[in-house]
Amino acid sequence: MRRVLVTHVESPVGRRVVKALFHDPEVALVLGVGTESEPSYLAPYRGKVAYQRLDLAKARHLQSFLHSERFARARLDSVIHLPFAEERAGERVPGGVHSLVSETRRLVEECAVKDSIERFVYLSSAFVYEPEPGNGNVVSEAQLLGFDGEGDSLVRAWIDSDLVCQGELHGTTLRMTILRAATIVTEAGGFLNSPPLAQRDVAAGYDPMLAVVSDRDVARAIVLALHADRPGIYNIAGHEVFPRSQLGTSVRRIAGVTLPEPLGSALDLVERLLGRRAPTGAAFERYGIVPSARLAHEALGFEPQYRIEVRGAGSARRIDTVRCR
Amino acid sequence: MSHDELHEAAGPSLGSDPFRQGDGTLPYLIRLRERSIRIVAEAAPTRAPRVTAEDEPQKPPDLGPPIPELPSFDDRDESASALDRLASWILTPGDEDRLAQITSVLGGRAYDEFGLSPRVTRRALAFFKLLYKYWFRVESSGHSVIPEKEGAILAANHGGLLPFDATMLVVDGVLGAKPPRLVRTVVDRWAGTLPFVNVFYARVGQVIGSRDNVRELLRLKQLVLIFPEGMAGIRKRAADRYVLQTFHLGFVEESLRHRVPIIPVAVVGADDQAPVLWDLQPLAKLLGLPFFPVTPTFPLLGPLGLLPYPVRYQIAYGEPFRFYDEYPPEAIEDPHAVRYMAEQVRRRIQEMVDQRVLDRRAKRR
Repeated sequence: MRRVLVTHVESPVGRRVVKALFHDPEVALVLGVGTESEPSYLAPYRGKVAYQRLDLAKARHLQSFLHSERFARARLDSVIHLPFAEERAGERVPGGVHSLVSETRRLVEECAVKDSIERFVYLSSAFVYEPEPGNGNVVSEAQLLGFDGEGDSLVRAWIDSDLVCQGELHGTTLRMTILRAATIVTEAGGFLNSPPLAQRDVAAGYDPMLAVVSDRDVARAIVLALHADRPGIYNIAGHEVFPRSQLGTSVRRIAGVTLPEPLGSALDLVERLLGRRAPTGAAFERYGIVPSARLAHEALGFEPQYRIEVRGAGSARRIDTVRCR
Repeated sequence: MSHDELHEAAGPSLGSDPFRQGDGTLPYLIRLRERSIRIVAEAAPTRAPRVTAEDEPQKPPDLGPPIPELPSFDDRDESASALDRLASWILTPGDEDRLAQITSVLGGRAYDEFGLSPRVTRRALAFFKLLYKYWFRVESSGHSVIPEKEGAILAANHGGLLPFDATMLVVDGVLGAKPPRLVRTVVDRWAGTLPFVNVFYARVGQVIGSRDNVRELLRLKQLVLIFPEGMAGIRKRAADRYVLQTFHLGFVEESLRHRVPIIPVAVVGADDQAPVLWDLQPLAKLLGLPFFPVTPTFPLLGPLGLLPYPVRYQIAYGEPFRFYDEYPPEAIEDPHAVRYMAEQVRRRIQEMVDQRVLDRRAKRR
């Protein structure tokens, strides 16, 4: 019987995870942590779920909590960390995404020295991978990460946090599982975890493929990872893949035409001289990332149970999550 | 935040704090578990609509009859119906059936992992069928060696400025093979960086040349078309036409690794569609291009000069090589053995090409 600490329970994925854990007979206790007051959705789950308001980004808060009687009584043995699960496309965390990296680092370090904590499940993103035309369309967990000092700040934060957790992959006390999720589709049809969909400007002539996964399937994968004693890195993705243009909204505009090097560089220079933003920024604006969830299927038994259907586009676009038959 | 503040933060909204229940008579954990089970059991009937019907991920609400698994087509394009009508006019019902057989492997998905779109493929097939029948007047033979369902590597000679040889092989796979197969061409990485071109390639099922892509396709039992000559094949000068260049070895390694046959394919006609007189490498480097060809019509006529001449194409599929029957997978580590196998394939294709070139000359006389 697991006793689980879940961070960022106010996020859409956190909400799904808490509900899934509540219905899981193998879980005895869920202690949700969030920076806001207790979410109203927790009310029906009080029999098994407790809530603690806590700002994990502040070291003093975390230390106080870890040394409190409340923590001792909870006798937690597992942690599910969802630092970026609330990051909606186009928005940014008030404290900056780098505070989430610090938060992850502190939490991992503290859990590593706490003997009682055995398992740590971290929800990462598939956008940590390096999107390159020379790489395969379907990326495995062995794919290199996209280290780009001038890249998107959110992606850099994801990579930093991912690396922090990777540091504990071979630790002796903590069993670390990193789940790298594709673009997460919420029940309301919103997107999480997808920098390409947050871009307002798009480079003409490119339409990268993006894998999508339902937030319910992500929650299932997290619960599976919690129970399966298989530390490691796993991609999480659904069956469906869509081009960015079909997922994006109609308010996008084409920022310019990109050309191959060195013509592209010359065009960028001209655009900069004219005071326009060059549209050829991050590689994920051009090249897609379709993570292969084969390893998660083999090791964790993960199989997507929901299909994502996209119909129409722009204001008429409708995204449905349909349970597989 | 002090310890007391931490306790206070969770107080009122949780009702009685589950962490403050211990009165010494029972261990806290046992009490909490029993209490949880009791509350869930008691509350289940009354709270069922609130918790299970809406929130239970394992039991979604009754939505009536199941939704048919139809592909969710992109219907943004208002001109779509006109293009689709045009495609309907060009493609026969038999062609449509063949295309439907190919795209059925998507299982209702609108796109596959590589970006293949049935709708765009249908439109492209309609256009390229016209080229196949009336521009290049393709004659093909030996389809019986193409496996019906299993994966295989098609190794072909490469020629012509633009990859119409690959296009004709793809169309031949749809219209000529029995049953129809979608040939997934492995295109040069450089093409993947070209705007618009990369999207078109992906939508019609072609993939960027990387080992990972080839492995994934073979794992999915697809028909993978590889030009082992690489870029050297299409930039060779007219004087060297129909002389196969040195082969890259990756296709042999993947054949051994995945235990799939290599089908040699000879394409005659492509080398005549745009004979390269010179390759201006300094200009190519300056422009960031792999090569800069000079043909009788390019750059004289501008981009129009890149269009292929209406030459007749001949496509022939040879008996497959099954090296995996003779060599263990460890042979991949032996460069001499791999080179030997690649050379066998090269010679076979060269023989097939030479035979057809000679036949063509004999017919002209």
